[in-house]
Amino acid sequence: MFRPIASIAATTVGEAIRRKVLLIILLIGVLFLVVAPGLGMLSARSETTVLRGMMLGIIQLTSAVIAIVLTVYMIPNEIERRTIYTILSKPVQRWQFLVGKYFGAVAALLMMMTLMTSVLVFTFWLQQRDASAIPDLIKAPVMYFVQMSLLAAVAIFFSTFVSPLVNFFLSGGLYLLGSLFAPFFQTLQESQGTPQAAKIFAQLVNTILPNFANYNIQNPIINPGQQIQNESSYYLQVTIYGVLYIAGLLVAGTIVFDRREV
Amino acid sequence: MSMTSGINRSPLLLTILGCAAGIFVLQNGIGTQPTGKQYESVTETLKNGNTRTVKKLKAGVAAPAFQGISSSWQRDFNQGSVQTQGLSPDQLLFALAGFREMIAGILWVRADSFFDSGNYDAILPIIRLVTVLDPKQIDVYATGMWHIGYNFTDEEQRSDRRYIPSALALGKEGARNNPLTYEMFFETGWMWYHKIDDDYSNAVRWFELAQERPDMLPARRNLITNAYERDGKVDKSLDTLFKLYEAAGKKAKEDAAFGNKQNRDTLENKLDTTLVRMVQRGWFAGKDGRPLTGYDVNPPFDTGFSAKVTVTEARVLRFEGTWNVLPVGTRIRAVLRDADFPNAKPAGMEWDFSNDVNLDPPRDKTFMQEQLFVRNQRFNKKVDMSKDPTMYPFTSKDYVIDFYYNPRSAPPHIQDKFSWNGEGFTDKNFLNTQVREGQRVMFTSVKISKDQLLRRGDWREKVPVIKTANYLDKDGKAYNQADQVTIDLPSLRAN
Repeated sequence: MFRPIASIAATTVGEAIRRKVLLIILLIGVLFLVVAPGLGMLSARSETTVLRGMMLGIIQLTSAVIAIVLTVYMIPNEIERRTIYTILSKPVQRWQFLVGKYFGAVAALLMMMTLMTSVLVFTFWLQQRDASAIPDLIKAPVMYFVQMSLLAAVAIFFSTFVSPLVNFFLSGGLYLLGSLFAPFFQTLQESQGTPQAAKIFAQLVNTILPNFANYNIQNPIINPGQQIQNESSYYLQVTIYGVLYIAGLLVAGTIVFDRREV
Repeated sequence: MSMTSGINRSPLLLTILGCAAGIFVLQNGIGTQPTGKQYESVTETLKNGNTRTVKKLKAGVAAPAFQGISSSWQRDFNQGSVQTQGLSPDQLLFALAGFREMIAGILWVRADSFFDSGNYDAILPIIRLVTVLDPKQIDVYATGMWHIGYNFTDEEQRSDRRYIPSALALGKEGARNNPLTYEMFFETGWMWYHKIDDDYSNAVRWFELAQERPDMLPARRNLITNAYERDGKVDKSLDTLFKLYEAAGKKAKEDAAFGNKQNRDTLENKLDTTLVRMVQRGWFAGKDGRPLTGYDVNPPFDTGFSAKVTVTEARVLRFEGTWNVLPVGTRIRAVLRDADFPNAKPAGMEWDFSNDVNLDPPRDKTFMQEQLFVRNQRFNKKVDMSKDPTMYPFTSKDYVIDFYYNPRSAPPHIQDKFSWNGEGFTDKNFLNTQVREGQRVMFTSVKISKDQLLRRGDWREKVPVIKTANYLDKDGKAYNQADQVTIDLPSLRAN
């Protein structure tokens, strides 16, 4: 059952690595990471704060673009190039195809994000000569990886029934909304003038939307000295949240893809 | 070619439902939310020497009901509420997409280049944006507060004090957003102590709040003793010095690092000096009810303040006067402001009146504050406000000139005579115990009109001169010039 998934995933990774557009995005991201320390000579602490903020932001932004560009074309391209017929004529189920594609995308994403994180660690160490801050710094890219895996699941779900261009904006928009809604939701909940019905509606939307803001944990890392309660338990919870959401999206994608005539 | 595959959808739908239920519980939590009281702040020292405060469940407290990712994220990782006005569309898009810290960093780097080029006005909106985008950036708050409070000056390097309430509001906001670290509490206290240099009880209040934070640096911790002294709480200052000295001694024993030993020695020196001063200034004798005969502060010294203000040209004033203190180090505060300046008080204003960071001070109002430096018992200072019409717009009809001297702000060698609360200070004409409650200060005030300041209307040809009745010229003669119109300042003796 898992062999076809692994084969499709391996092929997908190979395809992803060969795609020039992804490599260019990755290269730009790495380039920015390398030049980031030269952007400003501020006071010692400001410099660290800005450096961390910039570098983590670059990794997150580059990863988000890669995740979307990588996944929006996956299913439509297979259909367009008609390679899907060759695959599905073999003893491969559609869900296996979809899951294989997803895991392939996530594996490629992992490779690219690992590369960027390595550059981040090296550049930070080179600039600050302080290895003690690095374990804290790495927490953010790890959480970004879960975030991008969720974003990839969203994009692959949409790719089962919409065109790549529409999917690009749909997934990007959902990422924007999912990132924005958490602080917006908080503002609504804290506002005493908000009607109860609006609060319930906001709670509903906050639950339905994939909450990408959960993974934006960079603030206490960028500004050390902040308090974090039960840090490990939080990371575990958001990872489980991500896995459940991804599972739900893959199952929903399977149902849609299964009903689709190709 | 058309291909479909039939699969049993029931288990898949059940899986989706299961996932949805899990997501709901994880995101929103279950049961009651834990209260902050169930946690205690634990300060951990990182390998690089920095400290980090982490909240942990108190021992013996049962684990609270699962509170959900949403609450945890908002409590620990949220960058602050959504306020993004002032950002360009591309910045707004990035900020909304969760890249707030990155945008804040880029803006701060941009602000740094404005600092280098001296474009101070451009920095203000950036400071506001950065603090809104990332309210945890303490450096931006601290730098911003200093910048707003200190860097806006006229051609003669006089600060624009209309900005100080905004600087204080920024400090208060920074402290509210970063309550775990001492820094913004200290910075706000420092603004009171050093820049406002009056109302020291506020400096004490903020320094005490900073003192409660465990990460405060030792050298900064010691400063509160000076603030207590300036607030007239000399006994409290001595008590605090003893406590700090004891703690520093213990620390130096535990860790004989140079910094620890130096801190202990500094405190020992300060303690010795304070005790000597308390004896010499008759502090202990006064407390015991013994006569102060023979002590430096007795009898109180008459400073013999007198002043003359001449409007030499439009918007140009010359302050001249006498002050009988021979040692250098006296600075008499002169304030010229609109008679109806908002929240004004004698020789100052209610600096702390606002909690809103308003980077646009009252541009139609004038508030000039100058320190008149005394040398050879006289002061003589020209104040030219003609080159800075935005700082001194002179739009009102009536103005007030205040003269003020508070022994609490005096340097130690002068306080050796006047003591901390002005026990050894008096002025037979202008001693005032009303304008600063419980303090003996020199204060006098006079009104002046816009026409006089701008030398227009009836004053186009005449030179307005405001002087105290006791003012004598440098040669010791009473001031009298036929071509000038003199307006006498009120004094205790005249009243």
